[in-house]
Amino acid sequence: MSIEWIAFLEVFVAAMLGAIAVVFFYALALRLLVRAGAVPVVAPAEFTDAITVITPREAKRAAAAAAKAARKNPLTPLQRRIALWGAYASFGLCAVAVLGGIVLIVTF
Amino acid sequence: METAALIVVLVIVLALFFDFTNGFHDTANAMATPIATGALKPKVAVLLAAVLNLVGAFLSTEVSKTISHGIIREESISAEVFPSIIFAGLIGAITWNMFTWLLGLPSSSSHALFGGLIGATFVGVGLLAVDFGVVMSKVILPALIAPLTAGIIAFTVTKLAYAMTRRYDNKPDGRSGFRWGQIFTSSLVALAHGTNDAQKTMGVITLALITVGWQNAEHADPQMWVIIACAVTIAVGTYSGGWRIIRTLGKGLTSVKPAQGFAAETSTAATILSSSALGFALSTTQVASGSVIGSGLGRRGSKVRWGTVGRIFVGWVLTLPAAGAVGAVAAWIVVALPGWGILIDFVLAVVIVVAIFVRSRRHEVNSSNAMSDVAESGTAVKVKRNPPPTRRQRQILREEARVKAEIERQVAKAAAKERALAKEKARHTAELEHAAQRAQRKKDRAKGKPHTLTRPEPGSPLDGPPPAAQPRRDEEDAR
Repeated sequence: MSIEWIAFLEVFVAAMLGAIAVVFFYALALRLLVRAGAVPVVAPAEFTDAITVITPREAKRAAAAAAKAARKNPLTPLQRRIALWGAYASFGLCAVAVLGGIVLIVTF
Repeated sequence: METAALIVVLVIVLALFFDFTNGFHDTANAMATPIATGALKPKVAVLLAAVLNLVGAFLSTEVSKTISHGIIREESISAEVFPSIIFAGLIGAITWNMFTWLLGLPSSSSHALFGGLIGATFVGVGLLAVDFGVVMSKVILPALIAPLTAGIIAFTVTKLAYAMTRRYDNKPDGRSGFRWGQIFTSSLVALAHGTNDAQKTMGVITLALITVGWQNAEHADPQMWVIIACAVTIAVGTYSGGWRIIRTLGKGLTSVKPAQGFAAETSTAATILSSSALGFALSTTQVASGSVIGSGLGRRGSKVRWGTVGRIFVGWVLTLPAAGAVGAVAAWIVVALPGWGILIDFVLAVVIVVAIFVRSRRHEVNSSNAMSDVAESGTAVKVKRNPPPTRRQRQILREEARVKAEIERQVAKAAAKERALAKEKARHTAELEHAAQRAQRKKDRAKGKPHTLTRPEPGSPLDGPPPAAQPRRDEEDAR
């Protein structure tokens, strides 16, 4: 009975690297959006009985807090613009990581 | 040959029905987390899952080759018997799948399929017809390793997601933005599900076609019509259901936050996709459950409920032998009653499936009350409402306490200095007054006026010298 232990290691390493790339770039993008003063406040699409994460009132309050934080942003307009473009670039890199993974699987 | 052809047609129909139940059963794997965090509306989530399962089924064929050309040694089974064995195995898989679906038990469609096929082959042909090396390396070991892998990855990326978005100034951190990301990661999980699960059915149909000589054994790739049929069937199955499973899953996922859900889905998708590329036939349910547990542990202040984990694990372990037992019974009927056995199996399977379906209609579940089975995994980790501070937060708290203590010390020091100054000032004033009094007394004495010495008030800075010193000074003055 031959068991390909290396294959398990390959799966682990490939999955780990892929997941880290996607989460890193996405989280970096969110961080840069916050730095740029464009704090994303995304309320749940639908309040099913399972959701206890955020209520509409909490979402409103979060939006107000985000707007207040954006007004008090210590960055200069140029720095903000750079952070915003950095955020978009990070989102792009995240998408590239996902597409790259899929292409690798299809062509493997 | 006509009987064999009829049986192969029945196998294809049954395999496609299994594909349908697979989609039905596993919708939750992709969509429970985004529904639970509110990233997607349940109806939209299920539609998206269906479309991406369809697309995913066309992406890779490695898993189908594992099924059609690995687990069972087709060369050691005669072409007359083999289709009946596959038929019996499928009946075992479908019956177990429907049964666990009705009860909302955590189960794996993939393991039900493998269990059914192995059980039926074991009873219908014999032990040697099953390649236990392939079973071990492509089914059993991945079943044990994949949830662990997914859990470790989910744990790591959850920590990463939280660390990168954490703020120490109590300003908005923008983590609800992970809800956008969840739309993409859950789509990726649905795609991954299509690449792995739809192929299992393709593998079974290809295996049946090879056994009756309708496909060359050298080319184990599924034919295009098989790929299309399986892709469409799993997509239809995904869209038409899974509400029951989603209900039990989502209810346990109430504490899943968007960042955590995003990390869990990324881990699930990455694990399934990389496994599919290498031909490992994984259970997507188990991988999704492993990710949910791992991501829960990645949050601060989380604790594992080992009792729940044990219950889930027992459910997983039971699937393979239970489906195997049903498959074995079905194969025994086929072998014991040649000719009629297939018909009896078919009728029994139809009766069981219809009965389960009718029974399930009593408590209809739809998009308005649906929530889910990977939920069982959600309840396996308890997360504190107020998690303990991170190292940096502890440093900040310590620094704040130090600054506060320093300020208090400075204030106390300033107050003491002020008090000392006031005391000094009072003493100085008193001394001046006393000196003035003495000067006045001298003046008065020089003029010959009588004078009485005023003693300093008790407690005044001048009220301290020994009383004996006073007369001596007076005497000197007198002299």
